[in-house]
Amino acid sequence: MVMFHKYVRTLIDEGGDEAQQDGSSTIEAQHLLLGMAALEGTDAHRTLLAAGLDRQAIRDALDREYEHSLSVAGFSTAALTLPRASVEPKRPTQLGASAKLVFERSFKYGTPKHLRPGHLLLGILEASVGTVPRALKLAGVSRGELMARVLDSVASEAD
Amino acid sequence: MPAVEIPTTQEPADALAAVAALRRLADQMEDAAVEQAMRAGWSWPQVAEALGVTRQAVHKKHAKRLIAAGVTLRRR
Repeated sequence: MVMFHKYVRTLIDEGGDEAQQDGSSTIEAQHLLLGMAALEGTDAHRTLLAAGLDRQAIRDALDREYEHSLSVAGFSTAALTLPRASVEPKRPTQLGASAKLVFERSFKYGTPKHLRPGHLLLGILEASVGTVPRALKLAGVSRGELMARVLDSVASEAD
Repeated sequence: MPAVEIPTTQEPADALAAVAALRRLADQMEDAAVEQAMRAGWSWPQVAEALGVTRQAVHKKHAKRLIAAGVTLRRR
């Protein structure tokens, strides 16, 4: 079993890479979710895959959410007619508001010593508003069912 | 995975998500526009004035990225 603190460190690195690609100066909940989907061998990764959520499927859902939210205001990424900007030379390391909430929510499940990657996934899925729940809804994924699967998975692995 | 159509409404959740998405779009446009201007030989003070922010703010936000991208920067 991967030690939880090592997993968190790797996840923040992965999330930082995703944030850098997005041009975001902070790591947000959606970047952690993408990172989870990229890190194999965990309960969180297996549960996401079982729900059809590999990294690309999550990225597609997030792109769709972005377009959908822009369309509410009458905009589209088609407004971006200039050549794409170069990415920042360093990946961000600072957690944004949504990522901080992920950790706060996860830590309700126990001390870091007793936490598993699945608890962090629960911390992401507990958000009922924001980018991730909207992206999952647009992708036809039930957040409630996914949370139930994660809870089963962390309970069975704790046995 | 089945895709679900969510109708465009003026629900608070949609309106708030639109704000977040527009901020992201504005940031992406700013990064691209500043880079294009600096590649075209604009100076920091010109870019700052065009954006309506201070020279220090625009420099702090974009200089590292543009230097890493190999853009030749004019000081004035």
